[in-house]
Amino acid sequence: MRPKILALGLWLLVLAACGVIAGRTSYRTDMGDFLPHSASLAQEVLAGQVNGGAASHIVLLAISGAPTPVLASLSQSLAARLRQEPVFLDVINGDEQSFAGAQNYVWHNRYLLSPDIAPASFSVSGLHGALTNDLALLGSELGLAMGQSLANDPTGEMLRLLDRFDNGTGPAKQDGVWTAPDGRAALLLLHTAAPGFDLDAQQQALASVSDNFARARSTTPGAGSAYLQMSGPGVFATHIRDATKQDVTRLSLLAVLGAAGLLAFAYRSPRVVLLGLLPIASGALAAIAAVSLAFGFVHGITLGFGVTLIGESLDYAIYLFTQTGRGEQASDTLRRIWPTLRLGALTSIAGFSAMLFSSFTGFAQLGLFSIIGLIGAAATTRFLLPHFVPSGFFAGGAEPIAWPLHRLIRHKRVARGALVAALLASLLALSTHRGGMWDNNLLDLSPIPAAAQQLDRNLRHALGVPDERYFIVFKAANAQEALQESEALTPTLNRLVAAHRLGGFTLPSAILPSEKTQRQHQVALPDATTLQENFVQAAAGLPFNVQAFASFFADVAAQKAAPLLIPANLPPALALQFDSLLVRHGADWVVMAPLRDVIDPSGVAHALVAAGPPDLAFVDLNQESDRLLRNFQSQAVVLAVAGSLAILLVLSAGLRAPFRVLAVAAPLAAAVTMTSAVLTLGGAKLSIFMVAGFLLIVAIGSNYCLFFERSAPGTPGWPRAMASIMLANLCTVGAYGLLSFSRIPVLHDIGLTVAIGTFLSLLCGAVLSTPAVKEIR
Amino acid sequence: MIFGPKARLIVVLCLFTNAALAESQPVWGLLPLMQSLAQVRTASARFTERQTAPVLSAPLISTGTLTYAAPDYLRKTTLTPVPEIFTLDHGKVTLTGSPSGGTHVFALDQDPRIAGLVEGIRATLAGDLPALDRFYTVSLTGSAAGWQLHLLPKDPSLARFLRSITISGSQDRIATIDTESSDGSNSMMRIQPGSVNDAP
Repeated sequence: MRPKILALGLWLLVLAACGVIAGRTSYRTDMGDFLPHSASLAQEVLAGQVNGGAASHIVLLAISGAPTPVLASLSQSLAARLRQEPVFLDVINGDEQSFAGAQNYVWHNRYLLSPDIAPASFSVSGLHGALTNDLALLGSELGLAMGQSLANDPTGEMLRLLDRFDNGTGPAKQDGVWTAPDGRAALLLLHTAAPGFDLDAQQQALASVSDNFARARSTTPGAGSAYLQMSGPGVFATHIRDATKQDVTRLSLLAVLGAAGLLAFAYRSPRVVLLGLLPIASGALAAIAAVSLAFGFVHGITLGFGVTLIGESLDYAIYLFTQTGRGEQASDTLRRIWPTLRLGALTSIAGFSAMLFSSFTGFAQLGLFSIIGLIGAAATTRFLLPHFVPSGFFAGGAEPIAWPLHRLIRHKRVARGALVAALLASLLALSTHRGGMWDNNLLDLSPIPAAAQQLDRNLRHALGVPDERYFIVFKAANAQEALQESEALTPTLNRLVAAHRLGGFTLPSAILPSEKTQRQHQVALPDATTLQENFVQAAAGLPFNVQAFASFFADVAAQKAAPLLIPANLPPALALQFDSLLVRHGADWVVMAPLRDVIDPSGVAHALVAAGPPDLAFVDLNQESDRLLRNFQSQAVVLAVAGSLAILLVLSAGLRAPFRVLAVAAPLAAAVTMTSAVLTLGGAKLSIFMVAGFLLIVAIGSNYCLFFERSAPGTPGWPRAMASIMLANLCTVGAYGLLSFSRIPVLHDIGLTVAIGTFLSLLCGAVLSTPAVKEIR
Repeated sequence: MIFGPKARLIVVLCLFTNAALAESQPVWGLLPLMQSLAQVRTASARFTERQTAPVLSAPLISTGTLTYAAPDYLRKTTLTPVPEIFTLDHGKVTLTGSPSGGTHVFALDQDPRIAGLVEGIRATLAGDLPALDRFYTVSLTGSAAGWQLHLLPKDPSLARFLRSITISGSQDRIATIDTESSDGSNSMMRIQPGSVNDAP
C-alpha cells in the first residue's frame, strides 16, 4: 500500500502544480508568435499588422440576387442601420455619407494639409494666378460644380488634396451606391471597431451585419430573393474557429466513442477504459505547464497540434492492460514490458527533440510539448497505472481482435514478397514523380476553404481594395521624426509616380503632416489684413466680386491660429489607416507605407533607398512570405532528418545489435516511403504538416516494431502482445482516419498521413520485425 | 362567361381605337427625339457661354469649341478668356490646359454632382434616355422644329446645387444649354453648328 499512496500523492501534487501553471498561462493565437525569433523588422511588423492592423478590421459585403435598383436601396437601408451600430467605425457603400468624415476633415484643415502652402501662394501674384485659373475652371464644363467651392477655396487646395487622397479607382456606382460592374451585386466595405483577432467582437459584428441585413431585406420591397455574402479577416477567423470547434468536437466525439467501444469490448471493464486516459491527460497538462514556463506563453497551434503528437501515449495503457495475462498482476506485466515501452517512448522523444532547436518558436514549443507530454505519460503509466488496475483484471475480449495479424504473420513469406514489390513500386513512383512534391502555395496551408478565398479575391478586386504587396518600411525615434522622414520621401515618390514607375503611394504624413510642417504652413498663411489687401490687388482686372470671398478670409485666419492637428483629430476611418501606416514598435516608431502598382520594383527600391533614411527597406510581401515558406519547409526537412538520426541512435543504444536495429528501423522506413508514395499518387502535395506526420508515424510505429521484434510467435506472451498492438493500431487508425475528414487542412493532412502511415507500419512491422519462429525456439 | 356583352363591346372598341392610333403617323415626342439624337455619331460646334455667379462681379463670357463622338466622348475646349480643356472619355474626366492649374483627373461617378452635370449633357447628345432618367425627371415641350428638354435632378445631393438644365434645339441639333444652379449661378450656352477642326 505504501508505494501506491506515495505514487498517488506525488502524482496529485505534480498535477496540481501543473494545473495552477496552466491556468495562469497566456494562450496566444498570433501567427507572428509562431515565426522565427530571427524575423526581420518588416516581417515582425507585418505579422503584427496582419493580426491587428487596419487591414484586419475590414469586412467586405456583397448583396446579390435582386435587380440593381432593389440592391441599391437594400445597400442604403443596410448602411443606414449599420451606421447606428457602435461595433463599426465606418460603413462605406459609395453614397455621400460614406466619405463625409474624411472629406470634412480634409476640407476643414485644408491649409494645414495641402502640400503647396507657401508664402508665395498668398502673395499678389500667387493669388492672381490662382484666380485666373479659377476663371478657366468656371469656363469648363464643371464650372457650376467648381463655382460653389470657389468662394471658400479660391487657391484650389481641395482639388490638390483630392488628387492626393484618391487611392486608385473605387468600384463602379449605380443608383448612388457601389456595385459590381455588371450591376448584379451591391458592394459595401466596413471597418469593425475591433481588430481581426478579437474573435468574440468580430462574431458580434458579423452577427449584427446578418441581423441588420435580414431587417433591411424585410422592409425593402422586392428584396425577398436577395442574399448577403461576407468576407474579410474577421469572417475567416471566426469561420476557422467555428469549423475547428465543430470538427474537433464532432470528430473527436466519434473517435472517443469508437475507441471506447472497442476498448470496452476488449477489456470488459469501463473503469479500465477510463484509466487508460490518465497517461495522456497527465502528460498534456505537464506539457502545457512546461511550455508555459519555458516560453512565457503557449501558442494555440502548440496546444491543438501537441495533443495529437502525444497521441501515442494512449497506446501505453493499451499495451499494459492488454498484455496482462490471466492471473497476472498488472505491476508484473509492467515490469516485463517496461524496457520495450521505455525504449519506444525514448525513441519518440529523440525524434521530437530535434524540433527544440528550430528557429520557429512554434516548432520549438511543439518539440518541448511532446517531449514533456510523453515523459509525463510514460511516468504515469509506469508509476501510477499498475496500482489502480483491479486485481484479477484480464482483457478477455482482446485476443480475437488480433486474428488478421496472425494470418498475416503465418503467410509472412508471401507478404514479404508483396511488401518488397510495393516498396519498389513506391520508390519508382516517387523517383519518377514530376511537378514537385512540395506544396509551394502558402494559401494551401491556410485553413480557409478555396471557395471562400476565391470570394475574398473577387470582392477585393471589385471593391478596389489595393493588393498591398510592396511596402517601404523605416524606423524613427519618435512619431514626429517619422512623419518628417515621410514628408522628405514625398518628392521622390511623386517623381516615381510621374515617371510611371509606380501607380501611387500612401504616406502617414499625407493624413497628418508633422507638427513642423503644420507650423510652417501657419507661418506661411498671411494675417487677415494682408490677405485681403493682396486679394483686392490680385483680383484687379478680373471679373470677381471680392465681397463673396469673405469665407475664404475667415477660413485662412481660423487655420492660421488653430491648434496643430494631432492623431485624436482624425475621423475614425482615417485614424485606423494612420495607425497602420505609423506603428509603435517597442521603443521605436515604424513607418510602413504601401506602394501601389509598382511597375519597376528594383528601380523604385533603388531610388527610395537612396533618398530615404539609412534603414529604409523596400519590402516585397510575396518575396517575404515565399522566403518564410521555404525556410519553414527546409527546417521541416532538417528536423525530420535530424529526428530520424536521433531515433536510430536511441535504437542502437537500446537494442545494441545492428541486426535488431535494422529489424525495427527498416519497416518504419518502408512505411514512411510507401505513405509518401500513396499521398503523392493521390495528388496531394507534401506540406510541412505531413512531415510532422511522418515523425509521428515513426514515433507510433516504432512501438509496434519493438513489440513485434521482442516476442516470437509461439512464446507464451505472444498472442497478448499481438492483441495489444492490433488494438493500439485500430484506435490510432480510427482516430486519425476520422481527423482526415476535417475541413481544416492541418488536421486533414496530419490525420490522413498518420492513419495511412501507422497502418502500413503495422503491416511492415508484422512482416519484417517479427523474428522467425525457429530461431527463438 | 367572364365578361358581359357590354364589357366585351368596350374591349373591342378599345382594341379598335388602339389599332387606329397605331396606323396614323407616329407622334413626335421624347422617344423619337432621343432616337434622332442617337443617330448622330459625331458632331462639332462653336459655343459662346454667358455665366453669372455670386463670386463674379460681371458676367463671364467664354468661347470655344465642342466635340462629341457617340456615345461617351465629349470635349469642351475653352479658348477665351482663359484656355482650358475639359475631356470626358469613357467615364473619365480630365481638366487640363489652364496656365497654373495643372491637370486633374476624376472618375465620373466619383461625385454625384459631377456625374449629374456631365451626364445631363452627354446622355442628351447620345439620346440615352435611361441614363437621363437615372439622374433627372425629364419633360419635353415644343415641336420637332423647336423643342425644349427640361431636366430636373432626382438625386438629392445633385438637387442641392443644381436647379435645372434646359436644352433647346431643332430636329437633331442642339441650340442652347441653360443651366441654373441653386446658389444663383446660371450658365447660358449658345451652340453654333459648324465644322471645327478638332476631331478626337
